[in-house]
Formats: sequence, structure tokens, C-alpha cells
Amino acid sequence: MMKKTLVLGVGNLLLGDEGVGIHAVRELEKETLPPGVDLLDGGVCGLHLINWLEGYERIIMIDATLDDRPPGSVRRLRPRCVDDFPRLMSAHEIGLRDMIAALLLMGRSPEMDLIVVSVGNVGKPDDRLTPPVSAALPEVLCRVRSLLSPLPAAHERP
Amino acid sequence: MKERIVVDPVTRIEGHLRIEAETENGRISNAFSSGTMVRGIETIVKGRDPRDVWAFVGRVCGVCTSTHSLCSVRAVENALGIIVPPSAELVRNLMIATLYMHDHVVHFYHLHAFDWVDVVSALKADTSAAARMAQDMSAWPKSSQGYFAAIQARISRFVASGQLGIFANGYWGHPAYKLSPEQNLIAVAHYLEALEWQKEVVKVHTVFGGKNPHPNFVVGGMPCSINLHEPNAINTERLAFVRQRLEEARTFIDQVYLPDLMMIAGVYRDEWGRLGGGVSNYLSYGDFPMAEYGETDSYLMPRGIVLERNLSLVHPVDARSPSEIREYIRHSWYSYDGGDREGLHPLSGQTNLNYTGPEPPYTHLNVEDKYSWIKTPRWKDMPMEVGPLARLVVAYAARKEPQKSFIDDTLKKLDLPAEALFSTLGRTAARGIETALVANWALEVFDKLMENLRYGDSRMVNHTLWSPNLWPDRAEGVGLSEAPRGALAHFMVIEDRQVENYQMVVPTTWNASPRDAVGVLSAFESALIGTPVHDANQPLEILRTIHSYDPCLACAVHLWDESGSYVHRADTF
Repeated sequence: MMKKTLVLGVGNLLLGDEGVGIHAVRELEKETLPPGVDLLDGGVCGLHLINWLEGYERIIMIDATLDDRPPGSVRRLRPRCVDDFPRLMSAHEIGLRDMIAALLLMGRSPEMDLIVVSVGNVGKPDDRLTPPVSAALPEVLCRVRSLLSPLPAAHERP
Repeated sequence: MKERIVVDPVTRIEGHLRIEAETENGRISNAFSSGTMVRGIETIVKGRDPRDVWAFVGRVCGVCTSTHSLCSVRAVENALGIIVPPSAELVRNLMIATLYMHDHVVHFYHLHAFDWVDVVSALKADTSAAARMAQDMSAWPKSSQGYFAAIQARISRFVASGQLGIFANGYWGHPAYKLSPEQNLIAVAHYLEALEWQKEVVKVHTVFGGKNPHPNFVVGGMPCSINLHEPNAINTERLAFVRQRLEEARTFIDQVYLPDLMMIAGVYRDEWGRLGGGVSNYLSYGDFPMAEYGETDSYLMPRGIVLERNLSLVHPVDARSPSEIREYIRHSWYSYDGGDREGLHPLSGQTNLNYTGPEPPYTHLNVEDKYSWIKTPRWKDMPMEVGPLARLVVAYAARKEPQKSFIDDTLKKLDLPAEALFSTLGRTAARGIETALVANWALEVFDKLMENLRYGDSRMVNHTLWSPNLWPDRAEGVGLSEAPRGALAHFMVIEDRQVENYQMVVPTTWNASPRDAVGVLSAFESALIGTPVHDANQPLEILRTIHSYDPCLACAVHLWDESGSYVHRADTF
């Protein structure tokens, strides 16, 4: 039986590539996902999100990151604590990091996966993605699907 | 000797705020407030269907989604003359009341408390003494010695693990912390209780606003269907769920938040009841209509302006009048067609970016010239404070009940004169008083809604002017609301059925703005003057005053920053 899982996209939809997590969730809404998997467009909500995370054993978060990698680079991180979240998180970092910290402080410890997409265009108001980040969406979706598949791929096994 | 302190970013707020302050003999003699991220949200809604704008502006900020959305639909309703059905107005009030309770409690415990509460000191507390003290303060049942011992052990483990998380940025041990270890422990315990509490109260939003963290709104009313006997609508059972959440919220506010506030205020009142007053004018647009929205006399929070702290006179405010509200850019990184000295009413507002600041990374801003992305709004060319204190000051001057009695009682309990309201502590206390009032109002509003429903009035939307074919070629609208952190206005010009101009004047714009065209300071800058700074590397006192306003820069400017490293790459575009 699949662990009760939440795929959570976060980001600001109005700031171009910063909203890549939301765009990914909107794409996933068109697909049939395994039972026990829910999707959530978390926007830039911080502490408010805790209510929506209740009851999930596993959370797969999709977010933009401002690191020095080329825009469209996709990475999977497995944060175990707040300090494992990348230093250069994006616009909503304060709220999001506080939310994660609060979750741990409250004694909740869902299994966490973080899929981050490196972005370049942040700050300029736009509700669309730039071409390199848009082109990375299929890889993001692919990573989510493989995390959701009941049998982990060989290299994912412990 | 003069010293320049830079606090950047100010922590535990939404968004990016920079404070530069000059100190002389340990006190701040001059201060500059700067929003260092640009805002340009207005451009994204230009050319869109006015009925869709609420969904975009709700995305500006994760904290105030619903109040921006509400303000936007009110702007359309104002432009087109749409009257919202009475029951829908009450549902909107419930949405906003829930937001207030959530926001104010989260602000107090999770963003502001650690300015007054020393977490590390709580580890030294005598848990029996803390239990006795808590039992004396309140009827809240969780106050046994065992409870406090368990909390203390939990915090010890957390601190010992090195994963400080939320606690990482504190100035623990700073001499400006004055609470006893037992008082600190009580506050820390309630910090944790408030985390659990806050996720329950927002469930009211899911009933009325749809199953999404971003609640739905609609021009003309609320997009929900209430039918007491219909299983698929919001029915008696769902409404009972709402009432229960509201009652629990009130219990927490009365038995935990208010007693903690009074405990903290009792210790800090002598110093912080005098500091941090800032500008002496207060603006409130008023909110919580209990009749048709146009009937401003029905507002639970009254509309008006108090000048020069004169508590016997309330001035009317007309946000639409071109001679009242104007935004200046003399010290902001924008340009106006008419030049830098001009002030523009938001309905004819302009958003032309014009960054003239230093190349990052920089040490200091050029405060003689432009130094912020925040514009400077003025009412009849005077600076205003907005927020819970402004709302209560306006209500007090208007002799409005229950506000006036509540304020008088609180001042009496703390043995403080009315002037103490105009301070950092007064601002923080006003937020707590307001939360308690809103907790009661939420239940009143709920009962009134039930009464309407029982009389058969469950109309939620007025659709008569939904079709753009019925609209004039050009219309202008102003949407007003009182967001938890203060007066919020959205200005919309509709031309050929599309948004032609959109301007938002948000609470933190009033409070955090730079100087105006004639050099007059805005609220933050003014409030910091005279504040002592014990240690320039640990500017706890600056945080106390700035946090007391509950700034939210996410919509005042566009935030985005590489936190931890103060590289201002964002400033260059």
C-alpha cells in the first residue's frame, strides 16, 4: 500500500520561473495518479500550509531555487531537517522554512523529498515560465512519477 | 559619537526590509526604511478581465491572500455599482475575521514574541512555579507542573540537537530581555500551543472558500452555496463545524493570548509604553459591514482619521478624492511623467521603475536621494500609521463600543494612561485587544448569518451586472478593506471591459515608506527615533518596534533574495 503522499508545489505564480512548482502541480492534475496521492498548489503560503500537510506520511515538494546552476537544472534533495534546505531558496523562503521548522518542532516527521528547479528569471512579474525552465517541466514530472511508482528504481533502493 | 547600523534583512517578517539607523550615545537619532525588492504586480493584471483579478492578486502574498482578493472584488463592485447580498457580506466578514484571528495570533507568538521572550532562559525555569503562575493568570486547563516539565524537556532536546530552526536567529541572553525564566517558559509553551491552534482555525476558510489554501471569491458575492438541508451544500452540519472552530478560537484568544499579552506588557510597560510612537496620525478605512457595504455606519470597525493624536475628533476619509490620498516617489525608485516632486492619486498612478541606487553589493544606501522600492503615500500630504492601533485609535476617538471600554479596561489593568497607546507596546497590545474583539464579532456575525438563513435569505451572489455587455465603456473603482496589518486599497480603472490601470496601496506602504517630497518621515522611520540600542550587532530594540507594526513586504514590494548572504543581485534590473 502506497504511503499517504502529498505532492506540494510551492512558489509565486506571478513571478515567472518562481512559480515552477505551481506549474508542475497543474500539469500533474491532468494525469491519473496512484491511489493515496494528493496534489496541492501551496502558492507562497507559509505557516498556513501546516493544516494542509496534516495526515500525510510523505511529502514531495516542488520548488524553484536561485542557485548558480543553469536555469532548468533539476535536482532531487532529501532534507532531513530545516538546515538541509538549500541556502538560496526563493522568494517565499521565510514562510516555507518556518513552516518546515514548525512541523518538526510539533513532532511531525513526514518523509520529505524536495525537487528543485534552478531558475534565472525571478522578480520580473510574469505568469509564464521562461523557455529553459518550461523545457525542464517534463523532467520534473518524470521525477515525481518515479518517486510515486510503487517499486523504487534500482538506484533508489537503500 | 555617531554610528550607522544596518539591519538587512529584518528577520521574522514576510519579505525583505532594510533599516539603516544612525545612533548617538546609544540611541537612534535618524532612521531610513527601505524595501529593497521591486514591486510591479500591477502590470500583470493590466488588460485582464476585471472579474479575474482577485485570483491574481490573491497570489501576491501567502499571508493575506483572502484580503487582497476581497479588496479586488470590492473594487469591481464599486466601479460597476454592484450590491452584494446581505448573507454574502456576512460570509465575507467570517472569512476576514478568521484571517484576523489566525494572523494576529501567529504574529504575536511566531513573529513577535521572541522580541520579548528569551527561549534559552525558559530552560532554567522552575516548572512548579511556572504552573502556579499560569494557573493564576488564566483558566486555560493546560497549566500543570507536568505539562511545563514536558515542554521544557522538549525544548531542551530541540536545542541540544543543534537543530535550532525557528530559534536560530534569536539574541538569547540579551540584557533587554526582562521576563523571568518561568514567564519565558509559559510563553514558549504557548508558542507551541499556538502552532497547533492556528491550523484548526483556518479550517473555516475551507468551508466557505473552497478546498484550497487560496480561498475563492467572486464579484457580486461569495462563490459558495448554503442550504441548511442539502447534503452537498454548506448545510447545518458544516455550519455547526464553523461555529465550533470559532468558539475554540475565542477560548484560546481569551485564555492564552490575552493573558500572555498582559504578562509581557506588565513587565515591559515602563520602557516600551513610551518608546516607538512614530507618526501621530492614524488612518482606518473601516470594515466588517453588518448591513449593505455602502452603509459605513454599520461597520464594526469604524472608518476615519485621527490627527495629532487628538482623541476627540475623527476626520472623514474619501479614498476616491484626488486631493486626499497621493503617492510620492521623491525617495523611491520610480519616475513620474510630471517629475519627482509630484504626488499622484492611485487612480491616475504610474509604475515606471527607475533604479538609481548603488551598484550592489553596497554598504549604505544613498538616503539623500532615492532609497526604496516602496512609494510614499500621504493623506492630505500627512503621514499616517495604519494597522490595529490605528483602527482602535479611530474607534476610541469615535467613542465606539465595545472598543472604547475594552481599551479603557486594559489601560486600567496595566495602570497606564491613554498616551501609552502611542508606543511600541501600545501597538502590540492593540493587536491583542482587536483579536479578542474580532473573536466575539465572528460569533455575532455567524449568528446573524444563521438568522438570515432561517428566514430563507441564502442569496450568495448578485449576478445582475455579471455580463460585460452591461458595463459602461469606462469605470473607476476603489476597493477598500482593513487587512490585519492595516488599511488596504485597490484602485481599478476599467476601460473597454478590461483593466486599464491597477494600483494597490497596501498597509506596509503607509508604514514602511521612505520620506516624502518635503522630507517628512513615515511611520517606521519616525518610530525608531529615540530607541535605545544596547548592542549594534544585536539590534533587538529595532526589531521590537518594527515587528510591532507586523510588516509584510511581500506585497509592499516584490521580495526575492538570497537569504543569509546579503548580496543584492535583485537590485540591478
